[in-house]
Amino acid sequence: MNIIETNNLTHRFSEKEIVLNNIAIQVPEGSIYGFLGPNGAGKTTTLKLILGLLKKQQGTISVFGKPFNENRIEILKNIGSLIEAPSLYAHLTARENLLIWQKVYQCPKERINEVLQIVGLDNTGKKKAGKFSLGMKQRLSIAVALLHKPSLLILDEPTNGLDPSGIIEMRQLLIKINQEEKVTIVISSHLLMEIEKLVTHIGIINKGSILFQGTLDELHLKQSSYVVFDTNNSEETFELMNKHNLSPIKLNGQVSLATTDKAIISKINAELVNQNIEVYEISIAKNDLESIFIDLTKN
Amino acid sequence: MNFIHSLQSEWLKTKRSAASWLCIIGGFFIPFIYLIAFLKNQSSINKYPDHIWETHFNELWHNMAIFLLPMGVILASSLITQMEFKNNTWKQLHASPQSYPTIFLSKYSVVFLITVKFFLFFNIGLILSGLIPCLIVDGALPKEMIPIMSFLKGNVKLFIACMPILAIQYLISLMFKNFLVPVGIGLVGLIGSMIGMSWDYIFLSPYSYCAMQVVPIKRDFNLHVYGLVCFAIISVISYILYIRKKEKG
Repeated sequence: MNIIETNNLTHRFSEKEIVLNNIAIQVPEGSIYGFLGPNGAGKTTTLKLILGLLKKQQGTISVFGKPFNENRIEILKNIGSLIEAPSLYAHLTARENLLIWQKVYQCPKERINEVLQIVGLDNTGKKKAGKFSLGMKQRLSIAVALLHKPSLLILDEPTNGLDPSGIIEMRQLLIKINQEEKVTIVISSHLLMEIEKLVTHIGIINKGSILFQGTLDELHLKQSSYVVFDTNNSEETFELMNKHNLSPIKLNGQVSLATTDKAIISKINAELVNQNIEVYEISIAKNDLESIFIDLTKN
Repeated sequence: MNFIHSLQSEWLKTKRSAASWLCIIGGFFIPFIYLIAFLKNQSSINKYPDHIWETHFNELWHNMAIFLLPMGVILASSLITQMEFKNNTWKQLHASPQSYPTIFLSKYSVVFLITVKFFLFFNIGLILSGLIPCLIVDGALPKEMIPIMSFLKGNVKLFIACMPILAIQYLISLMFKNFLVPVGIGLVGLIGSMIGMSWDYIFLSPYSYCAMQVVPIKRDFNLHVYGLVCFAIISVISYILYIRKKEKG
C-alpha cells in the first residue's frame, strides 16, 4: 500500500511561474523515501502541499489511502513533520515545547520523557530552546514530530546545518525509528551522500518535474548502463556517436553513452582512433547516487 | 473538547513570553507610582472627602486609559500573534490536527485572556495602592468598603472600549510577518486619535475609545455599542482573511 500518493500535482506561484508540473509520487508503507533535488526544485512546495500548508491548485493528494482535503484532521493525527528550519518556541524549555503539542495531540504525558530520551535531550533541564545548538534544535523538532507516535514522518531537509557527527546521529535515529517503530519516513534533501545511506526508495525532482522514482537498486541499475568516453575532443566524439543514433550526453568535457554493449563500445573506440581523436579513458559511469543525480538533473 | 485543548496549548505558549511580562509590568506600573507617591507624601486615599475608592479608581484609570492601556493591548496582542512568525511555528501549528477555526479562535481567546490578566493585575495593583498607604500612614483600613460592583462595571466598560483595538491588532498581526507593522500601525492610530480627539468624526477611530471612556468629551454616540459592532465586524474580516490565506506556514 502507498502511504502517500499524488497525481498530476501542479502548482503555480504566478501565471508564468510553474513550480510543480504534474508531480506523481508514491511512497510505499514502511519505506524511507528520499525526496531528492537541488535547491528550488520544488521539494518543499510538494511537502507543504501534502501537509496542507499550501492551497492545492491542481491534482490529487491522498494520504493513508484517503483524499487529504476531505480528511485533513484525521490524516494529520498520524503525521509528524519538520518543514525546513526547526519550529520551536525559543522562550520555552524542551519539555515545555513538547507539552504544548502534548495538549494538542492528547497523547500521554509520559511520552514527553520517552521522545526526549529517543533524541538524547532528556538532560537539558531548564535550558531554553532558543539557547540550543542547531543540532539540538533539529533533534527537538524530531521529538515534536515523534511525540504522538505517528505512522508517517515528513522531514524537509532535517540535516540542514548539522555537522558531520550530527548528520550521522540523525541518520541512525531515523533508521532506528523506521525499523523499530515501523514509521514510514519521507525525507527531502540535497545532500546526496546522506540520502544514499538512509533511504529504501527515492524520488528525484528537478525544476518541478519528477525525473526518477523507484528503489535505490532500480536507480543504480539505470546508471550502470552508461559508459563514459574521455577524449581530447568531446565535440567530435559527440558528433560521431550521434551519427550512429546512439543519443550521447555531454557532461564535464566527457561524453556518456547509454549502453554497455561491448561491440558498440569497441566500434566507437575504433572510429575515434581512426579520426585521430585521442581516447584517454573508457569507463562505466560511477555507480553512485551523486553521478546519477547530476546526470539526471543536468539533462 | 478540541477547542479547550488548543486553548490550553496556546496559553502554555505565553509562559515567560514578552506579552506575559508586559502584562505584569504594565498592570502594576501606574498603581506602583501612586503607592510611592502616597508613601512619599505620607498620604492615603482617606484624604478624599467621600467615594474614596471611586476617586482612586477614576484617577488611576484616567492615567492608564489614555495611552498605556491601548498601547499595552497593541503590544500584547501583536506579541502573542507574532510569536508564531518569530519562532517559525505557523507551519507546525497548521500541520497539527486542529481545524482552522479552532486555531484562529484559540489564539484569539488567548489574546483576550492576556488582556483580562492585564486588567486583573491592574485592579490588584489599584486596590493595594489604596490599601497599603492607609495601613502604613494612617494605621487603619480605608474609611470606605471597596465598591466591587462599581469597579466591575468600570472594568467592563473599559474592556469593551479596548476590544476593537484588540481585533484590529490581531488582524494585522495575522497578516504581516514583520512585528513592526502591527505595532507601527497601532501607534500611528493611537497617537493620531489622541491628536484628533476633538474631531467630529473621531468615533471612526477605535483607537480613541479607551481615552473617550475616561476623558469627559461631549459625544452623541454610544461608545460601547460602537465598540462592540466594530469588534464584531473586524473579527469577521480577520477570520475570512485568515481562512483564505493561500500559504499557511
